[in-house]
Amino acid sequence: MSKKAKRLLHVGMLVGLVGVYLSLDESTKRYLNHIGKQVPYLPYRYFI
Amino acid sequence: MDYDAVVIGAGMGGLSAAAILAKNGFKTLVCENTGQVGGCCSSYDHEGYRFDIGASVVELAWIIDELFEKLGKKTSDYIDFIPVDPIYGFVTEDGRRFTYPVDVDGTREVIAQFSEEDARAWDHFAEVGSEAINFAFGKVMTKPMQTMKDMMKVGMEHPTLLKYFKYMILNFESTLCKYFKSDTVRASMSLQSYFVGLPPALCPGYLAFLAYSEHEGIFYPRGGMGAIPEGVAKAYREFGGEIKFDARVKKVLLDGDRACGVELADGTQIRSKMVVSNINAKTLYLELVGEENLPAWAKRAIKSYDVSISAPMIMLGLDKKPDLDAHHTICYSTLDEMNRVWFDDYVNNKITEAGFMLISWPTHADPSLAPEGHHCLNLVTLAPFNPVEGDWDDIREQHLEMQLDAMEEKFGLDIRDNLTVAKVNTPKDFAKMLLHPGGAVYGLCNDITCSAAFRPRVRSKAVKNLYLSGASTHLGGGVPPTIGSGVVAGDFILKDFG
Repeated sequence: MSKKAKRLLHVGMLVGLVGVYLSLDESTKRYLNHIGKQVPYLPYRYFI
Repeated sequence: MDYDAVVIGAGMGGLSAAAILAKNGFKTLVCENTGQVGGCCSSYDHEGYRFDIGASVVELAWIIDELFEKLGKKTSDYIDFIPVDPIYGFVTEDGRRFTYPVDVDGTREVIAQFSEEDARAWDHFAEVGSEAINFAFGKVMTKPMQTMKDMMKVGMEHPTLLKYFKYMILNFESTLCKYFKSDTVRASMSLQSYFVGLPPALCPGYLAFLAYSEHEGIFYPRGGMGAIPEGVAKAYREFGGEIKFDARVKKVLLDGDRACGVELADGTQIRSKMVVSNINAKTLYLELVGEENLPAWAKRAIKSYDVSISAPMIMLGLDKKPDLDAHHTICYSTLDEMNRVWFDDYVNNKITEAGFMLISWPTHADPSLAPEGHHCLNLVTLAPFNPVEGDWDDIREQHLEMQLDAMEEKFGLDIRDNLTVAKVNTPKDFAKMLLHPGGAVYGLCNDITCSAAFRPRVRSKAVKNLYLSGASTHLGGGVPPTIGSGVVAGDFILKDFG
């Protein structure tokens, strides 16, 4: 796969994810936002 | 070496691990900060009444049976469980009252009064919930979930679990709303999210099936909730296990990177091959082990956890039967209000005036807990550890009056004239008595990022020969999960040292 095609694929996936996120109800968005804030800690938590 | 194992704390997790070790020939000592066993699952006598400190009922009682089976004993020889039915009584702000019986069909009939569509949805919810409890989540309660490998192994052994993956992406609220349309029905199953210490908006969706799990049967032990740890402690002592009361552990002794005993507050040092902790993981690592003895990654990890909710408990003695319909009564308004109480009040350190509460009525199941004709009630509410309203010691009485007013004015339950005893245990009391940082009743926060392999491990990686049990480790707070954690800790130690 060419570099250009790869980049298009990544952009497409990103747009898809944003689309899925925007289609969620407010409650699920709030839940995922909460989880998102905790993600940076997961690599540490995994080992404790 | 004084002992093979020293256990810090006689909560359900610590006692369960200790009993398994003692049964397998380990010379074991449990050091307990208070004068009784049980931690959050204990009872105490006060002016002729026997009150429960925290836990008010037990579900998934098969985990207790599994523990006693491991000990080669029968649960019924140690604990007399009384079935509790109905599960809940509900009192709403508009004066509506109804109950949910244990029977699934009976509950459907109650739900049908609010919505025929929701009654049909209940059948499906109960079917999914039954499968989730019996063939998926129930199976992992006494299994280690420390690593991705553990999680994959459990997933391979119980592929049914994979069906529930979507409920990890959804929250509790969305899961309930997916099934039920009536605001009354949704709200009636929402309070369970607070049973793991989170509002419906932040609680993982798979925990919504807690609202079904109670229909598998709930029980109250004769003699108060403290009868459960007393039963386990009795079995433990029969194997030669020892318990030292009023023995507060000040630090975990280390030999290099290995735990090798404990030092008590009075300076006594007790040497052992291993240490099992049943206290909050933050207290364990940051105070008893000491930050200076932890690698940087471990410090960062343990500090990243939020502790779970704090909840004052109000113990009431009455000289007449209360006007309630079940062992548990939930006073509530709406699902949105349960979220609002969290986001607007609790996180801003305000004591909510919403007045939603859980009332336990233990003498409904066991009248022997109070003088003849009298009754005990426990009121549980949600309130911050450091409220803006003032120090808990100064607002104790104010809090009591506020909750009694809420019972009377919002829910039409007037008990003032029949009160014989009223005692408030504040989050600060819990912190002092049970060594819970922030008065946390369920150990650490229980959201999806603090669960399974992302919750502190039962077999510590930061300190060798140190094992964790209780609400801070997998599976979290509650009587059956903490017993499960003790079973996992016991199994690990038998594998490592047996």
